[in-house]
Amino acid sequence: MVRKKDIRGLIRLLSSQVPEIQASAVLALGAVGPDATGSLIQALKKKNRNLRLGAIGALAEIRDPRAVPSLIAMLRDPGTEIRWQAAIALGEMGDTAAVPAILEALRDTDKYVRYGSAVSLIKLGHKPAGEPEWAWYFAGMQEWEKLTEIGGAAVAPLENLLRDKDSEVRVRAVRTLGEIGDRRAEPALIRSLGDEDRQVRWEAVLASQKCGIDPMFLPRGLSHRPRQKKNPLIAGLLNFLLPGLGYGYLGKWWGVMIFQIDITATVWLYKYSGEGNTYSVLFPLYLLLGLHAWYITTKLPEEPP
Amino acid sequence: MMRLRVPGSAGTDIGLVLKQGDMPALVRLLGHKDPKVQWQAAEALGTFGKRATSFLIDALHAPAAAVRLGATEALSAIRDLRAVEPLIHVARHDPVVEIRWAAIIALGETGSSDAIPALILFLRDSNRYIRYGSAQALRNLSWQPDNETDGMYFSIALQDWDRVRSFGSAATAPLMQIFRDRDPATRSAIVPLLGAIGDTNSVLACPTALRDPEPSVRWKAVLASLDCGVPSSKLPLMLAGRERTGPNPFGAALLNFLFLGQGYNYLGKWWGTLVFMTYMSCIVLAQLELGPFLPFLIAYPFTAVVGIHTYYLAQRLNDSIAG
Repeated sequence: MVRKKDIRGLIRLLSSQVPEIQASAVLALGAVGPDATGSLIQALKKKNRNLRLGAIGALAEIRDPRAVPSLIAMLRDPGTEIRWQAAIALGEMGDTAAVPAILEALRDTDKYVRYGSAVSLIKLGHKPAGEPEWAWYFAGMQEWEKLTEIGGAAVAPLENLLRDKDSEVRVRAVRTLGEIGDRRAEPALIRSLGDEDRQVRWEAVLASQKCGIDPMFLPRGLSHRPRQKKNPLIAGLLNFLLPGLGYGYLGKWWGVMIFQIDITATVWLYKYSGEGNTYSVLFPLYLLLGLHAWYITTKLPEEPP
Repeated sequence: MMRLRVPGSAGTDIGLVLKQGDMPALVRLLGHKDPKVQWQAAEALGTFGKRATSFLIDALHAPAAAVRLGATEALSAIRDLRAVEPLIHVARHDPVVEIRWAAIIALGETGSSDAIPALILFLRDSNRYIRYGSAQALRNLSWQPDNETDGMYFSIALQDWDRVRSFGSAATAPLMQIFRDRDPATRSAIVPLLGAIGDTNSVLACPTALRDPEPSVRWKAVLASLDCGVPSSKLPLMLAGRERTGPNPFGAALLNFLFLGQGYNYLGKWWGTLVFMTYMSCIVLAQLELGPFLPFLIAYPFTAVVGIHTYYLAQRLNDSIAG
């Protein structure tokens, strides 16, 4: 295919689910050289993620400067792997025109993209200018001690890390903010008290004290944490309308059994006692079951903060 | 007076209500759906000083948690000694941890030594936020532990683990008491300490940790077991006695026996419902032909075998030491 310069065929192979085939197609397109650039740039617009990842890889192999703007545009793709691959590819291209975009990518919410961007910056021979830029670089590399040494200038990049989906990253970021002890971290730390992760919340308490934040701000911050408490009204209503399923909603394995027994009992009662008698017996029972499910839900202990 | 800073601005005109001196309206705003308004209302009430104390003490009994929290914050800013007893009551009895924590911080702000005995007791609470808040409040009140036990609980509350270790075997009992904390991170921190202390009492504590419902605590207990003097040969047996948190094997089996498919559904298999619907359709169709009971008699030997299989399947799911 390389000999025939079958660029279309090779690009089709980029979407292969087999990593070896995809990698071979990337290398083959790299061997075709700048003739493939235009088609690969077009391939970046396709929906298939594997195809786009392969196309970015192939463009990095070819190193044609015409691809730089398209790769920069890929840094804003919604897919994490695409952004990461684009950041790495821009580093491979060796074109310093990409530096501003890579610096921007250091602010990404994903640790892979940030790390890829930081590595690419070094590959491009870029030396961060001043403490704030170094801080963004170290945040990308997750060099926590260096961030602590930088101090106040690291607050903004660390705040950015608090948006990361990885709770371990958020824990480390909060801890580092505490070690820096800068009062400007207050809004971010108070927000972290409502984090979905228990350890992040606790670290935010400890860090906020190191930053001299008034303790009275903390309980309100913690009160914004997500709560997974079951809704008593839903449990009650479910048990009233579909007896047993309210218990099922509360995680009781026998809830479904009660539901099935109720259906069977209703059918038999209906057959032998008639509609009126059936409802006069079952309605008060359903009401009791509904009230019971509501009551036990209100008494469920809350998740520890 | 301490001022509660408000992040951002909100649409509700708190300033106007404040100018009118309408304290009941401000108390109502503590329960506003916008957290910023709640915060502003709490700050505004704090500026009234001791005039607002009685309103705020009444608000500590409000059904809405946001109102109780805001009232506690405002009382913390006012620092009126009349609020000490009501705040102690809130710290003891409020069902919401955040409000108990806020009340404890507020007690530290009042500067009243009357709060100290209650705060010392809160150092033994099973919640780390309550313990930490109490230690901070006691520090605010310039309290110094006058005996070793209080000193140990104080260090545990501040999670000063190096200091706790320095107490040696005397720390075992307080550590075991705090081991009731529902937060696994605290229990994970305590287990290695018990191992490091390594006295007779901590040897007794290690088996409890080995049976912890949280896998990370159990693993810490395994690592600490040599220090605790627990022979390696006994570890599997001790771990086997742990509380199982997975699905109930008996429940899964019974469900599959009586309502084929629901047992699988209970074990998290999405296709359980599909099996159940198919089974029920077959039973109903068979009932039309064979009468009400015979289809069940035919089905039960088969569902009994499936039930037994489900029992073992659920046991396997439930059996992972790593959780």
